[in-house]
Amino acid sequence: MGRLLNELPVGYCPAYSLDSDIEINAQIPENLKRNLDLGLPNVTESDLLRHFTNLSRKNYALSTTFYPLGSCTMKHNLLVSERIAKFNNFTNLHPYQNSKTIQGVLEIMYNLEKDLCEISGMDYFSLQQAAGAHGEFASLLIIAKYFKSIKQKRTKVIVPDSAHGTNPASATLAGFDIVSLKSEPDGSVLPEKLKEILTPEIAAIMLTVPNTLGTFERNIHEISKVVHENGSLLYYDGANLNAIMGVVRPGDMGFDIMHVNLHKTFSTPHGGGGPGSGPVGVKAFLDPFLPVPKIEIAGNEFVLNYEKPKSIGKLKAFFGNFPVLLKAYVYIKSLGAKGLKNASEQAVLNANYMLARFKDKINVPAGNRCMHEFVLAPKASFKSAIKTLDVAKRLLDCGYYAPTVYFPLIVEEAIMIEPTETESKETLDSFVDVLTKIILDEASSEPQKLKDAPVNTAVGRLNEVEAARNPVLRWK
Amino acid sequence: MNYTSQNQKDKKEMIKTIGVNDVSELFDVVPKDLRAKELNISGGKTEQELLNCFSDIASKNRVLRSFRGAGVYDHFIPSLVGEITGRSEFWTAYTPYQAEASQGTLQTVFEYQSLICALTGLDTSNASLYDGATAIAEAALLALRVNRKDKILISSALHPEYIKVVKTYLESKAKLVFLDVSSFNGTIEKETLDANLDENTAAVIMQSPNYFGVVEDMQVMSVVTRNKNSLFVAVVNPLSLGIFKAPGEYNADIAVGEGQVLGSSMNVGGATFGFMAVKKALEWKMPGRIVGQTFDKRGNRGFVLTLQSREQHIRREKATSNICTNASLNALAGCVFLSGWGNYGFKKLAEINVSKARYAFDRIKSLKGFRSKFGKDRVFFNEFVIETEKDINKINEVLLENDILGPLDLSNHYNVLDCIPVSLNLLRMRMSFKNCLLFCVTEQRTKCEIDKLTEILSKI
Repeated sequence: MGRLLNELPVGYCPAYSLDSDIEINAQIPENLKRNLDLGLPNVTESDLLRHFTNLSRKNYALSTTFYPLGSCTMKHNLLVSERIAKFNNFTNLHPYQNSKTIQGVLEIMYNLEKDLCEISGMDYFSLQQAAGAHGEFASLLIIAKYFKSIKQKRTKVIVPDSAHGTNPASATLAGFDIVSLKSEPDGSVLPEKLKEILTPEIAAIMLTVPNTLGTFERNIHEISKVVHENGSLLYYDGANLNAIMGVVRPGDMGFDIMHVNLHKTFSTPHGGGGPGSGPVGVKAFLDPFLPVPKIEIAGNEFVLNYEKPKSIGKLKAFFGNFPVLLKAYVYIKSLGAKGLKNASEQAVLNANYMLARFKDKINVPAGNRCMHEFVLAPKASFKSAIKTLDVAKRLLDCGYYAPTVYFPLIVEEAIMIEPTETESKETLDSFVDVLTKIILDEASSEPQKLKDAPVNTAVGRLNEVEAARNPVLRWK
Repeated sequence: MNYTSQNQKDKKEMIKTIGVNDVSELFDVVPKDLRAKELNISGGKTEQELLNCFSDIASKNRVLRSFRGAGVYDHFIPSLVGEITGRSEFWTAYTPYQAEASQGTLQTVFEYQSLICALTGLDTSNASLYDGATAIAEAALLALRVNRKDKILISSALHPEYIKVVKTYLESKAKLVFLDVSSFNGTIEKETLDANLDENTAAVIMQSPNYFGVVEDMQVMSVVTRNKNSLFVAVVNPLSLGIFKAPGEYNADIAVGEGQVLGSSMNVGGATFGFMAVKKALEWKMPGRIVGQTFDKRGNRGFVLTLQSREQHIRREKATSNICTNASLNALAGCVFLSGWGNYGFKKLAEINVSKARYAFDRIKSLKGFRSKFGKDRVFFNEFVIETEKDINKINEVLLENDILGPLDLSNHYNVLDCIPVSLNLLRMRMSFKNCLLFCVTEQRTKCEIDKLTEILSKI
């Protein structure tokens, strides 16, 4: 069993130490001085290296296995992006350097904004937000400020029940009340149903296109029309942009504002849970409200403009997660227009291929076609007390990370699969074979095997209920 | 470049299996009149071309010897940090939804939480937040959730960018009142807090060392705050906790701050991480991911995401926050950074910062035309304010010619950010810190570099 840091042997000499070329003289008055024991481990470099390296090996990662997490777009993370982001002339810069000395940084941010505008059909982007949910929050603040500026009191936001959980959470954080909209079984929104709840209080509707069941919103024209006729704004959740690059643009579909997750569509790594980046794109009429600073060109130089009196302010200190922005920009320059479109086409091809192989065997609530991802509803196939959770754990034993499970909430026992464009047919085939076998054969013939899973991982199935009932959140 | 995998033969088979004639048919559902024209985006470069191209762009940036801090600091990063965060098993993993296949990430987060608790002297830490600024905003939101009061008192000596972010998050939700900073002491006086604190105060937010580098007497402020049943939020520099009082020692309810100093490069200010630690009683109100210990059927210890019923994927609009992605890889850097010093080494690291800053302070304030802004008994960690009659622009120009990133011009900085809420207050801050420079000296600066800095300053 693995040990914790504080259980490692106490070393003679800890891993790091420093000397000072100036005499150490740090008299601290008693009222300001720390008396509490620091309680830090005292471990040698070799023991720490082993400790953390061995821990890393207990992770399934994109670099070790297929990671078909729906809505998370776990595509290959370019190695060249990582290498470039480690250049000393990028990592070793201070945000308050004179802008003349960080022209390379500003050039990248300026050009990335232009490229994101071109890909999405929006007019301006802010790159400051640190994650998708952060981008949603910023967008909703922009929407609130816009309506305030035109003196309209709109207090509610419509969120379909198939949407990501962050949508209602972000809208609430921005001060809106949520009106939940029941989606159709394929996750889509019916304009007539939408119309019924479009009151003068509605500020915006948050849509995910393709929706979380992987289908394109075929009534988008009509939806856009009724929303705008009501004076409301149309918001695009761009977590799912991987299906549409070079194919169709949110700006052209009638969306007024959107966010995009660079750590999904644009190949930047997820880091086990961040750092990410959630740029916000807007049509020109919302530009005055974007966060400061804005990067502009003055003469032949890039400058930071803080003079935006209507701006919502700042969402984060400084300019955003620059390394993530840089990696996304490298990705775009690597692929170019053709490559981006090709990536989307291949992502959709891969997803449809898997769907085609599943569809005659396992229930698919959204029909025979999908965009970049699709959802299985295996409940009808489960003869015994088997749950989707058991299937997910059994997949881990077969060497795969599990797809997203129990989401979207509108599908019982959902399994949401997103293969991305960077997986080979062979990988897709083996995964389909294994998952089909688990659901159709093993679930009936060897249910205990699923209930006992996983057995091939670092630990067996963990008791989550107990973890929450008696929380142990640090070593004691 | 093209990173897709399928060869033509595979593609054909796949298209056939799906039952379409070609890939474009899969997009039939997209209305024809909405189809995008070919994107106007350059690219298609090979790896070699990318390396050359971005080397050229990088060369338009200048790496300088930094005597500037103000929220982002040039600190030593041990080799082990890059070695571990560079392991693809960590950086290519997603948020650890499948616990059994994510024990690496989960255990390191658990260890990170433990180290943050040890450092701050508080009970419970979350798995990280976006950065220091958003961590403070989240702390304020937490306070509003807990005691349902509507006023937040905020130190004017809080970093101006943090103030700006807190305003963005909270302006419509709470009454934000800013406590004036004494321009003589560079701290918030107890009397100022007394005068503003009342029954409606949800929380008091104090930073130490504050924006001007001065260590505040947090103990005094915490006692006053808690006597009114308000929450005390301590914004702290985690490196300074090697020698200065831990938030737990002065009974703070919440400790938050910027984690960049714990093993992340400056990166023009991001990506870094924010940390948050709270008293046990507040743990169910915390935002963000939290990892907890549990066991499998055979009694093996393991780690899972826990207290999840606070979170957006379950609670949707009733969640404690909207956070999912945080700053995990930077928090991992923080974990590896904190794990290797030992108590003695970590304390010494903090002492070196104090000693070097003190050395530079003594040298600079004795130069003709430079003097300490605050009374002489002020205690600082690695930043200090110097008032000068010299031309500040000229100072920084000359330093830049010598590849030195000079001190921050405080008067101009408040102008640029324009972020103290009441204009009178802003005017006062601007006046108070006219002709003032914020210097920063970390363990990275050598005696030789500090001497060179003072020599250049003496000649201006």
